[in-house]
Amino acid sequence: MAIQGVGFAILSVFTFLSASGVAQEVDVDGLILASEKAAYYAGDDSRSDARMIIVDGQGRKQMRQFTILRKDVEDNGDQKMMVFFSRPADVRDTVFRVEKHVELDQDDDRWLYLPALDLVKRISAGDKRTSFVGSHFFYEDVSGRAVSEDTFSLQKETETRYILKAEAKDTHSVEFAYYVVEIDKQNNLPVLINFYDKNHTNYRRVEAVSVDTIEGYPTVTRSKVTDLTSGGYTLMEFRNMTYNLGLNEGVFSERSLRTPPVQWLK
Amino acid sequence: MAKYLIGLLLLTGSVLAQEQQSDDLWAEMDNWEEQEVSPFSWAGFAEVALGRRLQRDDVIGRNTTLQDARVQLKSDYLLSSSKVSFRGDLYYDGVKNQLESQIRELYWQGNLGFLGTMGRHFDLKAGQQVLTWGTGDYLFLNDLFSKDYQSFFAGRDDDYLKAPSLSVKLSGYSTLVNFDVVITPEFEPDNGINGEYFSYFSPSTGTLIADEFSVLDSNLPDEPEYAIRLYGTLAGTELALYGYKGYSKLPQGADVQGNPRYSELTVSGFSAVRPIGAGIGKLEYAFYDGEDTFGNDPFTANDQSRLLIGYEQELIANLTGSLQWYTEFNHDYAALVANSLWPQYEDEERRHVLTTELRYLALQQTLTLQLFNFYSPSDNDGYLRLRGTYSPTDRWQISGGVNGFYGDETYTFYSQFKDGSNVYLAFRYFFEE
Repeated sequence: MAIQGVGFAILSVFTFLSASGVAQEVDVDGLILASEKAAYYAGDDSRSDARMIIVDGQGRKQMRQFTILRKDVEDNGDQKMMVFFSRPADVRDTVFRVEKHVELDQDDDRWLYLPALDLVKRISAGDKRTSFVGSHFFYEDVSGRAVSEDTFSLQKETETRYILKAEAKDTHSVEFAYYVVEIDKQNNLPVLINFYDKNHTNYRRVEAVSVDTIEGYPTVTRSKVTDLTSGGYTLMEFRNMTYNLGLNEGVFSERSLRTPPVQWLK
Repeated sequence: MAKYLIGLLLLTGSVLAQEQQSDDLWAEMDNWEEQEVSPFSWAGFAEVALGRRLQRDDVIGRNTTLQDARVQLKSDYLLSSSKVSFRGDLYYDGVKNQLESQIRELYWQGNLGFLGTMGRHFDLKAGQQVLTWGTGDYLFLNDLFSKDYQSFFAGRDDDYLKAPSLSVKLSGYSTLVNFDVVITPEFEPDNGINGEYFSYFSPSTGTLIADEFSVLDSNLPDEPEYAIRLYGTLAGTELALYGYKGYSKLPQGADVQGNPRYSELTVSGFSAVRPIGAGIGKLEYAFYDGEDTFGNDPFTANDQSRLLIGYEQELIANLTGSLQWYTEFNHDYAALVANSLWPQYEDEERRHVLTTELRYLALQQTLTLQLFNFYSPSDNDGYLRLRGTYSPTDRWQISGGVNGFYGDETYTFYSQFKDGSNVYLAFRYFFEE
């Protein structure tokens, strides 16, 4: 599932201090690649319905519902993605198209289709750590933050999890000082990510709430992002997921922006 | 110490409360699947909008520039590999004091695979529809599809800048190049500034007028319009070629009695869009080939070349800026001036427009602020649009803004609408099944 909500992240300050429990033989590079693959590259392609409930700091709720189609160019590499919105009413039939590039010097390509104007708009790459359609998820949580962007170090190993600390190679491109990610040993999925600022304050959390095995792939089916400063949060749930559908290239083009591939959206 | 404990208790309490609310919301999501069965869906909104002039318009007299009470309904019916869509507006237009209706969309859209293997490479969209292509923001070169400038100037939502037309669009796809062919069986003109909402400059009287003119049937073509686009991507650059055969979209020409008419027009052009640096660069060119080949017919617009160069980039998180330079070159300018009935009011040989846009998303994207300025250094006039939209829930949205026209002369393109400068406010309530 492309958009498994959960990215990579952090440790509490306490675990960060008790790095003594680290087993030295863990291959960190191998682990994060396996984790990235499990979280964002399961199968060669996928489809899923998704629903988000966005709750702001004052308890006001908004909802977004969409279908995501994803195709890998290669595992842990470039990906193509289409997001077809169906709710709320004012964004119905809006389509978002992304070509994700993992090379650090190549920005993602992004397009937006606005149905009421029949307008295909190419969007400048922009900051990937800004809200995805008004939710507490960032674009990058949805498309996956390339592991090549960060430097990881193992902080701790528990019976069920590896706990790693990550720091961005380009610190100007991110709002965090570091994040601590907990990876489930059984399925390699990142299941908890805490983001910290330079004062070691944990201000943001991404967590996998439910994991199900779908067609053999462990898949995050419910995830949650919390803005620990405002108290606002977003729940995301995936339904009707399928892998390896054999989606062809044409689905990931301007054609699908203007003419939605109805057979994949039902 | 006690204070800290209470703080901690409160914090724990709010965390627990949030957990409880999350659990309730997850439970609420469980109803989701059942709602998704029907292929039929509908939604809509109700809106009231009010706009006032910022100054008097002595020619029109009325201070109201926008007074809509509107309901829009949208519905879709999904078939196995195609869909039927409807979007229609019913509104009371207080400026015209009329009940109006507009079918913005009523079309069938789908793949032609049912005609055989070849058909899979073609999509068809047939019926009432809104059409857009080209690269400019609020500036159109190769996009000759209908527009509604009256709505745009009055502060209606951007959606209304595009007017619908009854058309058939056939799209074909291959690995190298794709195409769209649009046939509009009966010419669909723009809704221009015609004195209903805003006054305009009349060169024949040399003053602003607000005659609510309509074009005589004999001057309104009922012939088809044809538009074509070929496009593809080469080395990361999106390239397109365009063609149009039809009529000038505004009644800029005149017949021998001086009545406005739409003259024949053929347009050809190209565009290129690609990432440049941290942003998106674009280039578009169009040649407007009208009836007045030598430029000596004072009743018909001269041929024109139009060029646009633009760049857009996110400046900081959530703030995007864009710049466009647009120019119109009037061919056979000497002949135009020599034959003009009012050479003092004619356009410059080259008209330039610079646009600047800033778009800011704030408050978790519930607030959108937009500044868009058109400035013409050749006409020394311009048009500033400010707009804010706030929608903290899925239920409602409030928007407001200013349309400000400025300039030195009464006869230049933007400056003639100075008395139409307005401020507006709109409230929209959404509903869905």
